[in-house]
Amino acid sequence: MKTVVCIKYVPDTSEAEVKVNPDGKTVDDSRFSFDINDADNYAVEESVLIKEDKGGEVDVLSIGPKQSEVMIRMAMAKGCDRATRVEDDRIAEHDPLLVAKVLAGALKEKEFDLVFTGCWGDDFNHMSTGVALAEYLGVNHASMVKKVEVLDGKVRAHRELEGGLMEVVELELPAVLTIQTGINEPRYAPIRGIRQAQKKELNVVSLDDLGVDPAEVSVDASQVVLENLYIPEVESAAEFIEGEPEEKAEKLASILTKGGLV
Amino acid sequence: MMMRGMIMTTESQTFTEKYDLLGCIQCGRCTGGCPVTVRADLNVRQFVNDAYDEEKLDELARLAEIWDCTACHTCAVRCPKGLKPLEVLIGLRSMIVESGKVEPTVRDALQSVLLEGNPWENPRAARQDWMEGLDVRIAEPGEHVENLFFVCCTNCYDPRVQVTAKNMVKILNKAGVDYAFLPEDESCCGSEVFTIGEEGLFEMTVEDNTEFLNEFSADRLVTLSPHCFTTYRTHFPDLKFPVIHYTQLMDELIQEGKLAWKGELPKRIVYHDPCYLGKQGGIYDEPRRVLKSIPGVELLEFDRKRERSLCCEGGGGKMWVESESRKERLADTRIKNAKELEADIVAAACPFCVLTLEDAMKGLGYEEEMRVAEIMELLGEFVEA
Repeated sequence: MKTVVCIKYVPDTSEAEVKVNPDGKTVDDSRFSFDINDADNYAVEESVLIKEDKGGEVDVLSIGPKQSEVMIRMAMAKGCDRATRVEDDRIAEHDPLLVAKVLAGALKEKEFDLVFTGCWGDDFNHMSTGVALAEYLGVNHASMVKKVEVLDGKVRAHRELEGGLMEVVELELPAVLTIQTGINEPRYAPIRGIRQAQKKELNVVSLDDLGVDPAEVSVDASQVVLENLYIPEVESAAEFIEGEPEEKAEKLASILTKGGLV
Repeated sequence: MMMRGMIMTTESQTFTEKYDLLGCIQCGRCTGGCPVTVRADLNVRQFVNDAYDEEKLDELARLAEIWDCTACHTCAVRCPKGLKPLEVLIGLRSMIVESGKVEPTVRDALQSVLLEGNPWENPRAARQDWMEGLDVRIAEPGEHVENLFFVCCTNCYDPRVQVTAKNMVKILNKAGVDYAFLPEDESCCGSEVFTIGEEGLFEMTVEDNTEFLNEFSADRLVTLSPHCFTTYRTHFPDLKFPVIHYTQLMDELIQEGKLAWKGELPKRIVYHDPCYLGKQGGIYDEPRRVLKSIPGVELLEFDRKRERSLCCEGGGGKMWVESESRKERLADTRIKNAKELEADIVAAACPFCVLTLEDAMKGLGYEEEMRVAEIMELLGEFVEA
């Protein structure tokens, strides 16, 4: 089983105070701590669990700065075998479709059975990269995967739907799965393991190395235009609508109509 | 970040040699004195006995009770052979840590020490936020100061105990003490990293912190937490200055008449000896003298005091590991004892003790009639600053 796991180095914004820079298009990241994207961490663990169970190897693929190598080494300490880090400031990183195009470019010469990504990124919350990657690679995909069963030439993926429902799908390999948090319990990467992982292969490549045309993945090629970032105002007014479902619906409809919202 | 590789190697030493298991005479004083035996199945003597069989180590490491130890060191204090039975448990923990299969809370704390220099998953950039609005002197490498302060991650980030550091700055400024706090690059002392058993990360911490601290010039390093105090004194052989706890400095300042009192505190205070200050650091009298100096204070004593002090269960990585036992927590026992003494205030000089004892006090519903306080909290209220 050959698995590729795509991971991203993101700021932890769960507790941090987020401030928009005066340009209105970037965020002050000087006080953030950075780490592997949460869902990607589960994807790493799942890839290592499959390797431990079925054998094979796991490649890490990431687009990110030099500082992100600590995250890559941690993944390798957990059991991933080698890594590719793409560093190129021409990539329009705010556009998940173009990010996926770069990842696809990095995978086009590689043999793989499975590609894992996290199901969303904690930075922009697009939930698009993994699915777009499958499209570029021309392979099957399943998103929001909470359980993976590797079968002969196929994979059975349990997809988390709303309201506690699971959808079970079988996909021919190769396939891309976007992994949901909670699928497993990611292990700790001990320092000695991280140090040993220094010996593993980590290739740093640019768009030119990958043979990806920068014009196709740059800001100019992007159909996503970042206009403005702002912190939503905190509204304190909240009205709880009481009553039976029919009454509630009537009251709600009335409020929406009166407020000119529909 | 080269590993020194000689402190903890199991490659060159067997487990038996590393922990001197053959030195044990199986007298049982360790288990007899162990405070957690009243609520957990931990029998440290048994572990010392069983760990001799190297084939059994994996099995022993998987037993949940190895995580019940609070690293209070009572077993080490009482061992007639001068052994440290608790370190056998830490050695077993390290086997689990090396496998990566630790509790998620432990995983996140350790990873946070590596990435952000603190176990509380807070960004390094926020380490000095507690200083806002205060006139704090920051140390410069090579510029000599008498007292170089090491704040401790918990005091830096936990809003409940930040008061320890804040009050310290105000009092030092007023008393004209020659001091400086370390800049933002200050990192965790590794106390909990050591007791959780992350040997590699602890070795790295010792190396990196020794190098960082030795860039500064000081007569002594003053720590605000007993955990940093004991860790620096015990595990940092190459540190170029002596280490003291802040209660020693406050005691000095009071003896020298450098602190001026304002108001009176006519309260009955019982002092709780933190394990890392008392049993492990031998500091028993200074905190008591400081408390007694506050005008109006009546100082009480627990039955279990000084080297017999009952552990609050805050150390040994226990801030990140929940015990399976549902029996009464030792902090609850401690607060009940304080209540029996009719104490108004339980005073401690350790952030972990303050947090665990205060939780217990609130849980028992004594908020109206009792208070848990850091000694620096009381000094902040009754010393002119």
